[in-house]
Amino acid sequence: MMEVPPVRIGVDIGGTFTDLQIFDARSGALSSFKTPTTPDDASIGLMTGIKEAAARDGFALADVGYLLHGTTIATNAVLERKLPKGALVTTAGFEDVLEIGRHYRREVYALNPQVSPTLIPRDCRIGIEERVKADGNIELPLTSPTLARLVEKLDRLHVASVAVCLMNSYVNPQHELQVAEYLAKAMPALKISCSGTLSPEIREYERTSTTVLNAQLIPVIAGYLEKLTARMQAEGFSPRLLLVQSNGGVCSAATAAQEPVRLLLSGPSGGSAACALLSQVLGEENIVGVDMGGTSFDVSVVRNGRVNLITQGEIDRMPVRLPMVEIRTIGAGGGSLAKVQRGGRLTVGPESAGSRPGPACYGRGGTEPTVTDANVTLGRLDGKSFLGGDMQLDGEAARAAIAISIAKPLGLSVELAAEGLLAVTNANLGAAIRLSLFEKGVDPREFAMIAFGGAAGLHAVAVADEIGIKRVVFPESAGTLSAYGILHSDLSHDLVRSRVLDAVPERLPALKPMAEGLISQAHARLDADAIPAHEHHIETAADMRYKGQAFELTVPARALQLDEATLSALIADFHDLHRQRFSYSNPDAAVEIVSLRVSAIGRLPRPKAKPLDVQAKGSPPSKRRVWLGGCWREVAVWSRDQLSPGGTIDGPAVIEEAYTTVLLAEGWTCRREKSGHLVAGRRE
Amino acid sequence: MKASSVDISPIELEIIYNALTAAAAEMDVTVWRTSRSTIVRELLDYSTAIFDRDGWNVAQAARIPSHLNSMSYFLTEILARHIPPDDWGPDDIVISNDPYCGGQHLPDIVAFKAVFQNGRRIGFVGTLCHHLDVGGSSPGSYGSSAIEIFQEGLRIPPVKLVDGGKPNEAVRDIILQNVRQPEILWGDLQSQLASLQIGAANVGRLAKKVGDERFEHALNQLLDRSEDSMRAVIGRIPDGIYEFEDSIDDDGISDRPLRIHAKVTVAGDELTVDLSGCSQQAMGPSNATLASTCSTVFYALMASSDVPIAANAGCYRPVKIIAPPGLCVNASSPAPVVHRIAIGHRLATVLFGALHQAVPERMPAAYYAVSYVVTLQTIDPQLGRRVLVEIEVGGAGALPYSDGASALSFGMHNNANIPMEMIESDMPVTFLGYGLLTDSGGPGRQRGGLGLWREWRIDCAMAQLSTNLDRFKFRPFGLAGGEPAAPSALYLIRGGTRQALPSKVTNMMLQKGDIIRLETSGGGGFGEARLRARASVERDIQLGFVSAAAAESRYGYGNPS
Repeated sequence: MMEVPPVRIGVDIGGTFTDLQIFDARSGALSSFKTPTTPDDASIGLMTGIKEAAARDGFALADVGYLLHGTTIATNAVLERKLPKGALVTTAGFEDVLEIGRHYRREVYALNPQVSPTLIPRDCRIGIEERVKADGNIELPLTSPTLARLVEKLDRLHVASVAVCLMNSYVNPQHELQVAEYLAKAMPALKISCSGTLSPEIREYERTSTTVLNAQLIPVIAGYLEKLTARMQAEGFSPRLLLVQSNGGVCSAATAAQEPVRLLLSGPSGGSAACALLSQVLGEENIVGVDMGGTSFDVSVVRNGRVNLITQGEIDRMPVRLPMVEIRTIGAGGGSLAKVQRGGRLTVGPESAGSRPGPACYGRGGTEPTVTDANVTLGRLDGKSFLGGDMQLDGEAARAAIAISIAKPLGLSVELAAEGLLAVTNANLGAAIRLSLFEKGVDPREFAMIAFGGAAGLHAVAVADEIGIKRVVFPESAGTLSAYGILHSDLSHDLVRSRVLDAVPERLPALKPMAEGLISQAHARLDADAIPAHEHHIETAADMRYKGQAFELTVPARALQLDEATLSALIADFHDLHRQRFSYSNPDAAVEIVSLRVSAIGRLPRPKAKPLDVQAKGSPPSKRRVWLGGCWREVAVWSRDQLSPGGTIDGPAVIEEAYTTVLLAEGWTCRREKSGHLVAGRRE
Repeated sequence: MKASSVDISPIELEIIYNALTAAAAEMDVTVWRTSRSTIVRELLDYSTAIFDRDGWNVAQAARIPSHLNSMSYFLTEILARHIPPDDWGPDDIVISNDPYCGGQHLPDIVAFKAVFQNGRRIGFVGTLCHHLDVGGSSPGSYGSSAIEIFQEGLRIPPVKLVDGGKPNEAVRDIILQNVRQPEILWGDLQSQLASLQIGAANVGRLAKKVGDERFEHALNQLLDRSEDSMRAVIGRIPDGIYEFEDSIDDDGISDRPLRIHAKVTVAGDELTVDLSGCSQQAMGPSNATLASTCSTVFYALMASSDVPIAANAGCYRPVKIIAPPGLCVNASSPAPVVHRIAIGHRLATVLFGALHQAVPERMPAAYYAVSYVVTLQTIDPQLGRRVLVEIEVGGAGALPYSDGASALSFGMHNNANIPMEMIESDMPVTFLGYGLLTDSGGPGRQRGGLGLWREWRIDCAMAQLSTNLDRFKFRPFGLAGGEPAAPSALYLIRGGTRQALPSKVTNMMLQKGDIIRLETSGGGGFGEARLRARASVERDIQLGFVSAAAAESRYGYGNPS
């Protein structure tokens, strides 16, 4: 086998910066690099960054074995509706399933409630004569004249892609495959996606929505990958290219080009993967990762060292039925706007000032108070050292905004108003974390928190206090944490088959071949990814519920072989899990299996980075006036880079670094580890 | 109570309010994830709320408007007449489904638990679930032929299902003996109980943190704050008397329509809704209890408010509702009431129509305003008995500034549909289609949303159909010159022949191969149709929302004007 070249690069392309993490196996060194993102063609900025990093760190492009690539191109294409025209093929009579959706509203009292967007309008949805029954039998066969008529209609529509989603195709995809085969011959330029191949799960609307998103993204992502590979080839740069998926793993460029919907919600994957890695480093099995930036607060959960996944997510109110990292997002960030509503309610977010005009203190014309303005007003954020001193903050503007919009209407002093604004914010953040953990039936007190993103440092300790978390970690180089997580990713495939069956031994003849089929498919996919057999790691699980329930729990199977013993263990584990999450179980009630899942991990060689060994002499802190607990206090201000490992800081204190500031509350202590991470703990 | 000890800043109040709302949300998640029946799990027909120590609703998880603002009536009635506050222990759970005790109809079972702190009652938590079946003459307990409540199912007076932490087995056995699918009812009831435990623990934790006395005081302030907001909202509506009316087709027993009439009087920051002009109570089940009617009035007022209001019982204070007993909006026992939502839906649109005269810039034309309840029971030798309750929807009314939404759960209810593949995998039914209905939206400058069609085919030898529908005769009205939407319809297709069915069908026997087709109404239009932008008409034709013929006849499209 060929030797894999020694350098591995993880890339996270964000809206403003492209972040790189570089690992060189020869020295064991891990380094990071930041370069501006080039929005029109992100591959330009990516190549520039790689070449500059190569020059700086002294490696050749030919030394790079793997390029692991995180991108929000798919996400942005959907949010901005930059999707080439597509069509949808359904069973005749079911053309409107995509538009009707699940037909409930989220804003109960709104007279003009928002509805889920319909990406394919009615005149581009084509019903065909065919019908598969719920047991997989064919009631109405698909005929050649029907297929010929379909091609005629599609010809007139001039579409770039077509999604095929027929009733009950999750049981029997035969008709969908016939359609795909016929179209591939008749219209070779058309990009086709079949629901039974992509997401063979019961529930027609969710499956249709997922397939439509996928089909519409194929031209976008395939196009980007072509451009990127051309650019790489021109530079003589030929590492193995892997793309970050929403489930936290990576996939080959070939998979990404066919199933781009798997990248759709991958933005937070890197950060949560990093949390899982750090959980090992820190020896904490249970972690809440909180990422707070300018507009949002994202919560992810690591349990028993693994990132929590969900089987369905959504984008812009459209469901995506694929396993993905579970993120709870609320609209609370540094730029969130505070308002006193009529009737005297003080609310914060979800509207945000964004970066233009931004908080009042940015001096870009914003006059409404934000969370950042409150932090500046209370001396928690220093106007002179923001972004490492690259940007001056206007403390007077912040104060004025709070005075006019909050303090005056509520009849409070400016300081109390700002403190109140932050208290409301922190309570909202705490409630979001509680609900995330509550849904899993777990106790926040058993969790440590990892806080990252520009605004998290000022809020994390207060929020942890609020919900009973006793340990908070501020990771080293939090600015490129996502790229760090990406760098360590493995290849992964998620396979699933739905079939509602009673969980009883009599059903094993149906279940067993389903499981075996999925497992051999999983190995085949990893083989196609050129992963050697000893690096294949396969896990199976079943989505189970009490007969008649709406919602399934995913129960990991204890063995790959689905026999009577595995099945009875699945059932026992289901009752246990149900009790843990929902406070009751019903061991006498009938249990059914809705889907079988296989997750296939292809382990890539692990970067074995030399542990960081922070050397700093430790310089004494400066002091500054900070408003805490209702009064101004002189508080020690430390520079993170100057903290020597091992030494302990007592709260209250402020710790500053280039892109963020940490506020340590009274009753907390903080230590910088040799690894560079700051670990704060509540004094018992 | 010293003022200084209970001085609560607006900020602390906001934090407490958010915490209460979060507690209700956690209760909501518990019900959603643990309930067994399709009606709760997929139709989302349940609600959770938190109350003060006197039974007034302070915070809620918003699912179904018709539930939320009625739970206070139920709880305060129980406290006043059935189980006095001092008889509630910390480990008691009281349930009831009695419409004549502050409830709405028998399938809705409420469960309440008092929350104690240091031996003192500081509040209540409550959940309400629409149960799949509570017995009575029709499967799903949703028949349309009852003339007395006794035919509609088991009536549970307020009773302790859990007494001092111990389940009351006798009560449980009586309930389970009288319903068609006892395991499912019991499963859903258990998820209600689990939700109460979660809610009570959260409220207790919050009260402990805030301090009992301050907590109680905060709840009072939250009610006052919502009252103030409601008064401000009413104050911004021009003073005057606004009347409107619409009709319900019939009550399922006779052909006589029911008149729903409202006279809304706005005077300063108070508002009176006089419903004396409504029809006498019906013989059939299209009747509402007073609790039901009050919740409709508050839904309509909150929905039409120009700013969002933190909905709670404080909002009720500046509003007076006149509804003499014996009318269909305040039925007297033992009138049947299962289809109370028919009255609620229609009253909501009537109130929108009345308020349109006062604040024309924000009120919509009529939505479909009926819960299209279709109940199917299949009996198969292998699969046994299966009951399916579906609640379908239609189109929303056009607004002064936009078209109405198509096929969207609107107004008094808020239901998701049930995935057809889920139904097909569970019972011998095959769907022939589910789609939007061309030309069903009311024509107007802004077009009403479209209604929908859905077709079920029976695949087993024996099945029964019951429906509770409306809008077959009286179409959803338009406003400001907008036209009404299409009426609703129900058909049986047997052996290739299509036969129109009445809106209320009870226990009709079906056979293998029978097809049932439902067509729901759209929403009314707003403004004159001939003023609709030509580009919008063209797009409607292109998408098949409006036929070419209707474009010509209703919108004058293609005619030189």
